[in-house]
Amino acid sequence: MRHYELLVVLKPTLSVEELQAKQTFLKEILEKNGAVIAAKLEMGTRKLAYQIDKFERGTYTVFYFTAPTAAIAEVERLIRITEECIRFMTVKFENQKELGFWTKQVEKLTKKSDVSAAPVKEIVEEQPVTTEA
Amino acid sequence: MAEKRKFARKYCKYCEAKVEYVDYKDAKILRHSLSERYKIMPRRLTGNCKRHQEMVELAIKRARATAIIPYVIDTKKVVAVPFEQLQQ
Repeated sequence: MRHYELLVVLKPTLSVEELQAKQTFLKEILEKNGAVIAAKLEMGTRKLAYQIDKFERGTYTVFYFTAPTAAIAEVERLIRITEECIRFMTVKFENQKELGFWTKQVEKLTKKSDVSAAPVKEIVEEQPVTTEA
Repeated sequence: MAEKRKFARKYCKYCEAKVEYVDYKDAKILRHSLSERYKIMPRRLTGNCKRHQEMVELAIKRARATAIIPYVIDTKKVVAVPFEQLQQ
């Protein structure tokens, strides 16, 4: 089992239900391939730095998980098939410092979901964006 | 040489902030090592240490691939503050 992070950019045209469905779909893909999801970060809909498939904006979702090495290829294959995903990136965390960042990030995110009203700066910035979309 | 003078004293800002890992999703951290045209600045101009420069380079390349930071700035559509609307 290795530590990974998966960032997926979804189309901005999806409705709230569709978006939710896609996110659970991604989660299922990961879990089916033996991944254990530690945390999920929703960065909301934000402007892209450049056009991707004629889209100016995109909805960012990040998963932090541990998975066997063979799972990644299969997950990436499935994401490539999914039309709603316009961009994705998997990052592997290997050495001590990277793993330290991974655990710190997971801790931060799980804490956030426990106390949803926690005045963390990032979440305050993100909320208006998600509702707007 | 004229450009060199912009940076008065050279020291690694990432060492000062005790950055252990440069996250590619955080455009704010990366901004220091990017020129106004969003090119990666060399170490001799920013004063970054080698260890952090390598981390920053990788993070910038990842951020570009995920459309968090642009690859190139459009010279035809010049806006006063091009990435103001970009959050974070």
